[in-house]
Amino acid sequence: MKVEEIRVCVIRVGGTNCDAETKRAFDELGVKADINHLNEIVKKASLLDYNALVFPGGFSYGDYVRAGAILAKGTLTKLRHDLKMFVEEGRPILGICNGFQVLVEAGLLPAFEGISEYPEATLATNIPIGYNCRWTYLKHENSGRCLFTQKIPKGNVLRIPVAHAEGRFLFSKENEDRYLRKLYDNDQLVFRYCNKEGEYAEGEFPVNPNGAFHDIAGICDPTGTVFGLMPHPERAFYGWQLPDWTKTENMPTYGDGKLVFESMVEYLKSRF
Amino acid sequence: MSHYVKRDVPFELVEVNLQEADDKQLLQISRELGIALNLTEMKAVKNYFSRKKRNPTDVELQTIGQTWSEHCYHKTFKGNITTPEGEIKSLLKTYIAKATKELNPSWCVSVFEDNAGIIEFEENYTIAAKVETHNHPSAIEPFGGAATGTGGVIRDILGVWADPIACTDVLCFGPLDYDYSKLPPGTKHPKYVYRGVVAGIGHYGNNMGIPTVNGAIHFDESYVGNVVVYCGCIGILPKNKFVKDTKPGDIALLVGGETGRDGIHGVTFASAELTKESEEISRPAVQIANPIEEEKVKRAINKLRDEGLGSAITDIGGGGISCGTGEMADRSNCGIHVNLEKIPLKYQGLAPWEIYVSESQERMLLSVPEKNLQKTLEIFESENVKATPIGKFTDDGILRVDYLGQRVAELDIDFIFNPPKFKGTAEWNEPDLKEPTFPEPTDLTEEILQVISTPNIAGKESVIRTYDHEVKGNTVLKPLQSKYGGPNDAAVIKPLPDSWKGVVISCGMNPNYGKIDPYWMAASAIDEAIRNNIAVGGRRIALLDNFSWGNPQKPDRLGSLTRACQACYDFAKGFKTPFISGKDSLYNESPLGPVTPTLLITAIGIIPDIRKAVSMELKQPGNPIYLVGKTYPELGGSQYYQLKGFTGATVPKVRIEQAKETMNLITKAIDSGYIRSCHDLSDGGVAVASSEMAFSSGYGVELHLKKVPRTSEIRRNDFLLFSESNSRFLVEVPEKRREDFEALMNGSVCAEIGRVKKEGILSVYGLKEKNVVRADLTELRRRWKGVLGG
Amino acid sequence: MMYRARIEVSLKPGHSDPEGEMTAQSLKELKYSVKKVGVSKVYEVFFEADSREKAEEAVEEMCRRLLANPTKDNYSYEIEEAR
Repeated sequence: MKVEEIRVCVIRVGGTNCDAETKRAFDELGVKADINHLNEIVKKASLLDYNALVFPGGFSYGDYVRAGAILAKGTLTKLRHDLKMFVEEGRPILGICNGFQVLVEAGLLPAFEGISEYPEATLATNIPIGYNCRWTYLKHENSGRCLFTQKIPKGNVLRIPVAHAEGRFLFSKENEDRYLRKLYDNDQLVFRYCNKEGEYAEGEFPVNPNGAFHDIAGICDPTGTVFGLMPHPERAFYGWQLPDWTKTENMPTYGDGKLVFESMVEYLKSRF
Repeated sequence: MSHYVKRDVPFELVEVNLQEADDKQLLQISRELGIALNLTEMKAVKNYFSRKKRNPTDVELQTIGQTWSEHCYHKTFKGNITTPEGEIKSLLKTYIAKATKELNPSWCVSVFEDNAGIIEFEENYTIAAKVETHNHPSAIEPFGGAATGTGGVIRDILGVWADPIACTDVLCFGPLDYDYSKLPPGTKHPKYVYRGVVAGIGHYGNNMGIPTVNGAIHFDESYVGNVVVYCGCIGILPKNKFVKDTKPGDIALLVGGETGRDGIHGVTFASAELTKESEEISRPAVQIANPIEEEKVKRAINKLRDEGLGSAITDIGGGGISCGTGEMADRSNCGIHVNLEKIPLKYQGLAPWEIYVSESQERMLLSVPEKNLQKTLEIFESENVKATPIGKFTDDGILRVDYLGQRVAELDIDFIFNPPKFKGTAEWNEPDLKEPTFPEPTDLTEEILQVISTPNIAGKESVIRTYDHEVKGNTVLKPLQSKYGGPNDAAVIKPLPDSWKGVVISCGMNPNYGKIDPYWMAASAIDEAIRNNIAVGGRRIALLDNFSWGNPQKPDRLGSLTRACQACYDFAKGFKTPFISGKDSLYNESPLGPVTPTLLITAIGIIPDIRKAVSMELKQPGNPIYLVGKTYPELGGSQYYQLKGFTGATVPKVRIEQAKETMNLITKAIDSGYIRSCHDLSDGGVAVASSEMAFSSGYGVELHLKKVPRTSEIRRNDFLLFSESNSRFLVEVPEKRREDFEALMNGSVCAEIGRVKKEGILSVYGLKEKNVVRADLTELRRRWKGVLGG
Repeated sequence: MMYRARIEVSLKPGHSDPEGEMTAQSLKELKYSVKKVGVSKVYEVFFEADSREKAEEAVEEMCRRLLANPTKDNYSYEIEEAR
């Protein structure tokens, strides 16, 4: 499929607020992305007109009950069939920040045995508590399963910012060890928080900005076509968004976040 | 005899017998209805109804009370003030707006007229800016007060059809370690207020997805009883989409949240002093914030604007629908006929007057030509936002309000927008202050460490990180710079995907100087806001003013307010930086006394190419460091004196010609690429600015005080380090551009005073070339970050 | 029949509760000798059901499908007839 034929659906509801910059990232790569209200997609039954689906950042429905929970159940209730088709056909689904919370609450991640009826993980209140907006380093852990990081060599360190109050990735205590092994066995681990040199945070703040288990910042499903992460790649897309671009004599044109979108487009081009 | 006669209708409606009320009773009525009108105003109301040969209803009196409140009408700024030098007719017209009028810049699109000031930006776009005060609500309920303050100022931006792109917040609290036992009853501890206010601001901005990019936090004892909360918002709008053209026949459309009892009498409450009882009485005056609702409202309004369906818009803020409907009718020379029963309520049981003045949040008022109504309603429905036609604009200049078929108010719009003039007396007596004498400390390293860890200078990272300053992905220069989170002078936003032009946002405020002279405090705040903007590459600067003062009926308060206004005119004119919008909050008094007069100046500049923006941290060891601007013995009100327990008398002044030249040269040097880093000198002077530049980068610095351009009166190292003279910058110049830079600066006050060093040490040599400061950057950073948490 | 359910969702024991810890710290600052604070969320749900059994089934489902995340949350509830 040609780049200009790709169509991406950026979904929004009340409280979504990173849709415009997410769309802009695709625009920059020559891909047509539409921002659609969930109601519109449901009304027109048009989800399957798209090749990829993105849940962007924000506070969907005010993050009431739990971050992402209401949008997750709403999407499942209204679009269950289309979503299943999406996953089965290998059309990519990306969740950023609140979008990651949605995918976890919807059982689309980690989805060890396919879409799960109840969440298998959670993104709990940050430790230390509170909203935190800062740049983080991420180590790429994936051996090739995750289509969203195809263009990033394993072990590379990326710099992408986070901004959230509920990003502490957790499994339930009784499943922790077993699930972590599964993440490794299935090549589902994608990003872990680390320092500039690539050493894992080992839970230490602020290198790990939220206390996430095993420094987990992003995971994919066993097929590698569903991916969620707390950091915002759309905020690290251009060079001028970087926190220390003024230091460089010549500003870089792009930041590390672009690689995520590029990988996605690359996959769509070759797969469909 | 009661002055209140219940009308025989199936709902609560009271006729108020003004005609038989004497002066004392008039005031009693004003108090009982909570409308805070004074005797002159009550008499004017009485006369009006005498002419009409009837008594007013409670709805009418409440409407007048709201519209004439200090908060809605700015009586003091529009009033007549007697001073020893003669009478001033309107502070606003005589000083603040006058500078703008005389400068008459072609790029000012709308000033002092709408909900926000509007200036040109890129060919097809304009920028709207507004800063609000929300002091009283935040004192009573810090979280809700601050959150709704942010929500309100965002609606001001929506109220000129603009799309919000950034928020600012400037906050003043009592000392966080204030003794609990000294708190008067009903006053909340500064720590509680601080946590609540910060959380409230973050809650609203973050949820709405608007980056909070610039601000300041100031501590002073006078804020224990009167917290000061300034919330700002900047928006962008397509030039040809601004419309304000309500015609008779247009529909009045109320959109957004439902109406409840929350926020009743917010504005009259904002126009009165805080007392012990305020907390109990005013609880209902506090509004509840719902940022998600406002986010949806914003989406719908943007769509409506793009399709050109509305004919005017305004936010429903202070005074509720009573003010919104009246103002919209007044501005378009129309009348309006409102049907109160159409207004969607949160719950039943509200009296008509309560519905009309409620300040429930997240509501806006639109006027829509009837032919566009259907399409308009569809847009709001698609965003799940309530939109309700509540009335119609008419051609007769009369405000009519009906409830369930009964006329509950009928007022001439002319009358309600021409309240009797406020009359005040202003008196300013120079405080009897002396310059302190004390020996020069022997260990200046320790002095720097102490100054840098005073709460007013210490890092605010623990607050800033709780605000999303990156959302929208357009923040080019962030509030925290580089790895160590240095304090940038201004924020730069790149609002358009296809243009390199940026918006530069900065502020200036120093209430300490006002303790010596409010005139120079105002001048310094203007200079600081401008130089912060200039320091990162901003220019073509517009200013916004926000005053928080005590009771203007007391001559000394009004005297200091007048002096500050005089400086606003002198220096806005001098710098050629027009004021475009402002807001005042008066009556900030508590049992602990009045608030320290606090003038916030917000500066909105532009930068033609954001790739030329300059940040404050040092970049390259070996580069020379220059000080631009002259240092005077001006330590009055400085952080250094304060630390020593003094106020002093030598308040920093602004020498306008010199200041302007310095600023222009900095802009030229930045455009020419001669400046690698730049930091303005403000609180804590050279000592603090050089420390911040160093520890934010990890590179050290070596300075020679002997080389600092100065007047001959300064003969002490500590004074050179800590003087807070205005219009000064510390700049790092690339070694290879040294000659170019010096050529550009030739003839101006500028000298090379040091160098960037690889070793992480701040090292200062004194007037006698002896090493007087040697501080490790890790220690400096630790002390700077340690106070409020990093 | 109309029922009222009072549903409490709290963190499973063993999970850290930053909100509770923060609150405990604040209370300590106010000089209360607080050992620990637990924070939970309470929902009051009014709904129709044919019988008490059906009502209980419905509430159980509400908890599992939306109100609690089994990874970290416990839930409990009381149900009564409402007018």
